[in-house]
Amino acid sequence: MPSVTFLPAYRKIAVDPGTTILAAAQKAGIQMNVVCGGQGKCGKCVVYLKSGLADFDREKYGKYFTPEERENGACLACQTMVEGDVQVLIPESTLIQEQKILVESLGIATDLHPSVWKYALDLQPPTLEDPSPDLTRLLWGIQKKGGPVAEKIYAPLEVLRSIPAVLRDSGWKVTATVALVPGGYRLINVEKGDTAAFLYGAAVDLGTTTVVVYLRSLVDGKVLAVTSNYNRQISCGEDILSRVNYARKGGLDRLQQLAAESINTALTAAANTAGIDREEIYEVVISGNTVMTHILMGIDPAYMIEEPYVPVVRRYLTASAHRLGIGVNANAGLFVFPAVSDFIGGDVVADILAAGMAEREEVSLLIDIGTNFEVVLGNREWMFSCAGAAGPALEGGEVLFGMRANPGAIEKISLDLETLDPAYETINRVKPRGICGSGLIDLIADLLRACVIDRTGRINTSIRSPRIRQGAHFPEFVVAWAKETAIGKDIVITENDVKSLIMSKASILAACFTLMGAAGIRRDEITSIFFSGAFGNYLNKEHAIIIGLIPEVPITRIRNIGNGAVEGANIALMDRKKRRIVDDIARKIAYIELNAEASFMDEYTRATFLPHTDLSLFPDVERLLDACRIRRG
Amino acid sequence: MAEPSEWTGTIGRVVLGATRGEGGTRSVQYCIGGSRDLPFLPDEVPCGKRPLIAFEICDDPALWPPVVREQVGDLAGDPAAWAREAEKAYGADLVRLHLTSTHRRQVADLEGVKRTVESVLAATTLPLIIEGSGDPAIDSDVFQRCGEAGAGERLLLGTAEADRYRSIAAAALAYGHAVIAQSPIDINLAKQLNILLREIGVPADRIVIDPYTGALGYGFEYSYSVMERIRFAALKGDADLAMPVLSAAPDSLTVREVRDAAPAERQERALSWEFHAAFPAAVAGADIVCVRHPLSVKRVRDACSALSAGLKGTPAQGGG
Amino acid sequence: MALKALDIYKILPKKNCKECGFPTCLTFAMKLASGKADAGTCPYLDEATRQLLKGATQPPIRRVKIGVGERSFAVGEEIVLFRHDKSFVHPPGILFQVSDRETAEEIRGVASRVKDEVFPRIGELLRVNGIAIRNDSGSAEAFGKAVRVVEETAEFPEVLIAGSPTSMEAALAECGNYRPLIHAATAENLGAMCTLAKRYGAPLAVRARGIDALRDLAGKCAAAGVPDLVLDPAPETLGEFLQTSTLIRRRALARSAPELGYPVYLDATVPGREQATLSLGILKYAGVMVTTPGSPASLLATLTLRQNIYTDPQKPIQMTPGIYRVGNPARGDPLLLTVNFSLTYFTLLGYLEASRISCFLLLVDTEGFSVLTAVASGKLNETMIRDSLQRFSVEAETGHRTLVLPGYAAPLSGRVEEATGWKVLVGPRDAAEVPEFLEQSWKKTSPG
Repeated sequence: MPSVTFLPAYRKIAVDPGTTILAAAQKAGIQMNVVCGGQGKCGKCVVYLKSGLADFDREKYGKYFTPEERENGACLACQTMVEGDVQVLIPESTLIQEQKILVESLGIATDLHPSVWKYALDLQPPTLEDPSPDLTRLLWGIQKKGGPVAEKIYAPLEVLRSIPAVLRDSGWKVTATVALVPGGYRLINVEKGDTAAFLYGAAVDLGTTTVVVYLRSLVDGKVLAVTSNYNRQISCGEDILSRVNYARKGGLDRLQQLAAESINTALTAAANTAGIDREEIYEVVISGNTVMTHILMGIDPAYMIEEPYVPVVRRYLTASAHRLGIGVNANAGLFVFPAVSDFIGGDVVADILAAGMAEREEVSLLIDIGTNFEVVLGNREWMFSCAGAAGPALEGGEVLFGMRANPGAIEKISLDLETLDPAYETINRVKPRGICGSGLIDLIADLLRACVIDRTGRINTSIRSPRIRQGAHFPEFVVAWAKETAIGKDIVITENDVKSLIMSKASILAACFTLMGAAGIRRDEITSIFFSGAFGNYLNKEHAIIIGLIPEVPITRIRNIGNGAVEGANIALMDRKKRRIVDDIARKIAYIELNAEASFMDEYTRATFLPHTDLSLFPDVERLLDACRIRRG
Repeated sequence: MAEPSEWTGTIGRVVLGATRGEGGTRSVQYCIGGSRDLPFLPDEVPCGKRPLIAFEICDDPALWPPVVREQVGDLAGDPAAWAREAEKAYGADLVRLHLTSTHRRQVADLEGVKRTVESVLAATTLPLIIEGSGDPAIDSDVFQRCGEAGAGERLLLGTAEADRYRSIAAAALAYGHAVIAQSPIDINLAKQLNILLREIGVPADRIVIDPYTGALGYGFEYSYSVMERIRFAALKGDADLAMPVLSAAPDSLTVREVRDAAPAERQERALSWEFHAAFPAAVAGADIVCVRHPLSVKRVRDACSALSAGLKGTPAQGGG
Repeated sequence: MALKALDIYKILPKKNCKECGFPTCLTFAMKLASGKADAGTCPYLDEATRQLLKGATQPPIRRVKIGVGERSFAVGEEIVLFRHDKSFVHPPGILFQVSDRETAEEIRGVASRVKDEVFPRIGELLRVNGIAIRNDSGSAEAFGKAVRVVEETAEFPEVLIAGSPTSMEAALAECGNYRPLIHAATAENLGAMCTLAKRYGAPLAVRARGIDALRDLAGKCAAAGVPDLVLDPAPETLGEFLQTSTLIRRRALARSAPELGYPVYLDATVPGREQATLSLGILKYAGVMVTTPGSPASLLATLTLRQNIYTDPQKPIQMTPGIYRVGNPARGDPLLLTVNFSLTYFTLLGYLEASRISCFLLLVDTEGFSVLTAVASGKLNETMIRDSLQRFSVEAETGHRTLVLPGYAAPLSGRVEEATGWKVLVGPRDAAEVPEFLEQSWKKTSPG
């Protein structure tokens, strides 16, 4: 059997001949960047073959490499088949790097009404005068402690089996755990001694890329630890569609396992930080997008992403955590946020809960931007939602020097409108490697204000500036000269990049206007715009309005709810009464299929202009641009 | 439902052609636009009485519709004579010269282009529409020369598009011409292009919208609705769409229905096909409709006159 | 007038019971607002609300059916002034006119043309709808005879044009049970014409110049118990027709004049003006048009315009999926995949034919969406491409397994190769560049 040694870590693994380097890496537990899911289409899984025999079609995939890379033996891991012992160097850029993962949240004050309680009991042992059964004794004890009425508590067989011994071994000093489940109250555990203080719950955001866990005490509601890590499914493909394809090809079980493992890793880290035992976690609340929650529950997501996009269920799901492989107390309950449609998943419902928009009279707009975006408009009476593909441009994809929010990404830029010289900040303050979404939005806003681009994003090449030049294929603007950067190349934004970004932002703006049109709501009736997700947090709100990513409203009305998905999960964990609202949201929200909506294409075309074809919808931006034009003459 | 009383906008006016008094050599000057209502309704009051009919000619007929080449014979090789015929024999209001020679792969003969424009200007006294290059690489030179050759004549220069509008705008501004702003069958794109032109200094009274017209049976209905929407939006007060509209359905005479028609029927097919894009375009609000078949001129003009008969409004000078 | 979804939602029971067939009351409200649902399907509405919703969503122009059987047609039920606001609903009926002064032979000739002349065009059969017989002779007997000649030829909708009730009665004796349109009731003959219309249950055209006279006349006919009316504003010029019919449509849609809520009639027989009149009628709200039998060439153009204008602007015309041959393709000639949006097909076909390239076109069913939208919405995907290749036995036709995808479908190329096992080439985005692409790329990579 040939072996593959991965450098620089010298991790070695034996594989069958014909295995791809990517598969070998996955087997070795190394996470690589595979956007296309291993189809040889994204060119991201670049590795260097240092020695040994492997089959790779350099001619076919040559376009992905620079001459230097080619000289150094660059291959695509997903298209390279191992034939003998090989040594492979994985460059840092191919490894999945630590990103800024959003863990901050809005921190809405929530009352503590958990659905699981512990009762420390000091029971009288039975006597001939008082021969009532063990269980009655126990349940009466619970009732006397202020718990549910004894007759209403159901005790399952596996708990009954444990009772006699535990009661007697502990000298009748036990702690009983009771949970409120869909059928009523349920006695889920009886243990020795007083453990009433050790009652914990976890709120989990199961994202496509990352998993975030909040560990809280369910006695006083305090947050004990917050951890996050990558969703390990990434090794099966970076985006949702690749995951669904993987599931379709018989990989559902594997994906389910990886999802549970990813959650477990985060839970373990959280438990270690807090210094508690995972066994003391009695309740887990999970929000995630439709595909993620389907996969976690072991339900095939394939049918849901095809027409007519019908979810399997449209209310919240409960299950035993153990059955899904979540490493917490064997009797812990699991609450999963409901999915409304293929795109409006439990994460969006959690966003809505976190934003409080379903409890408010005033109309608010919620926007969650990733590779896909979701938009919700409504109040406590009604709610419209829609979703679409924003394209990867806003996350730095398909942009020549675009990158995710990793170290070295330019995340803030401002241009001197006279000299066109930029001032920028990078993540971790290191030399720039590329530009991430928030930086790109800053850049476009300022290029527009400086009249370097027209309102379709076309670069005016008649401006005399060394930063404006004709690139290999398109005109471009130089953001950072090679000597300033970590990559030894000029970092530029091309006209094509600007146009991709305009198309991305246009889908989001058009979605907002389509919902507003369907509801008959004007922009001045929107009292709040909530941004959910990482993107909104790092975004300059004023610039988002200048380029027309969102409708123009006063800046003070725009709020970030941070990671709304985990925030919503926290709320549902802390306060079971809010779970009713969750179901209510899922029931009343109407989903608008943008592709079937005739007005959407019209809105989209109107939005493919900076900020929009109709400037009267952006009165402040209009004033700003007029002022810029006058200044530049 | 918008009733006439609700209209707040008026279509802007564009003046084409300069007579001697205005510094040019044309025998007539047209005003287009000015409408205050939907086309041909009593309150419309446009500055011209009926839509103008432009006859299209070219300086290289290789790709011109065969049915036209058969009809005009040798004229097709002589733009000046053809333009004269359009004025004297066909009864066109305008001549639209397509500089198709610049579409050839080889570098165009730029001086030749200029001479062609000059010869056509000399051959006809009608106001002219000049369609420049088909290649962004030579746009600037071609428009510069056309603009120069027609300096003072208030030509209508074509065609500005969203990704190439600067050089034509520069030529129009430098030599006092108007421009055609063409966008692909979409009201929003039409509006965007007008905004782009405005933002680089082209005044609204120098812009004529060409929403691109598909041939009958080949998407004509999209164009028709875009023209209706443009007029509607303009009357509702959208100043960025309140320009006159030009409609040309260049594929009318080469569609399969004409190509495959029996020889005896081909001419009637061709005329019918051209008529059914030109006349409905006028009904939708086009101020200039372009045709390529000589016999179409009278047919379309008569139909338009029948529509506008009895309407108020000042007749276009010489427009008849 | 049209209610917004939220306005409707506010008066719905908000039970989310799903009994209407929609998941939520809000979704139901959206469907009602766009006319895609019927308020009657909600079991919890009180009668008043149901009527209110029906009133707000029911067409303000009466549906009038002319003729019986297969060739009968209905007009009316229009809901917009501009087709882009939603869609025009019923294409106007176009009828050839004959005179009762013509010989039986001449009449039969026209009737046969109406019966047999058909132009197939993108999945539809375009044809004239019927025949109008005009009582030029003034004689009831001649009129009746002319109608009989028509009746002998075939069964299709008729318009009977006569000012004299006696003549009309003679014609109705021949064809009265087949819902001919009686043309026309005027101020002079109103009572008699209404009686005839009622006796035969036939639709009645009322004719008066000027909108007020027309409104008055239509009101009287309705009061006399004739439900199905058609309005003939008797215009003297094209401009007058445009103005009057626009006004009628506006008032009808505003529901400000119920007497004007009927389809409009247009006489397109003025010599030399037929094409222009028919065009204008199609564009500007005519429901029934009568014209002289013109050349097939001009008729085809008229019918094509009618087809164009009456397509639903929100629903593109679809082609039947399958293999189409361009030129005379032989085994080994290129195979191009495209969508079944007719405009895409015809544009591509135009460029291919002009360049005289022989090839196969595989049209797959994207429900009439263009390539770009079909890719974006997932309607064009590798599974359906694979299935189409099998369903239409494509390989048996082409003799090779190489497929050219449209440029906008480039993102699918890898998955298509994988799903189908065919070699995939990605063509250009612009149809105009396809011929050149085939010249260059196909020759280089072509199988064998």
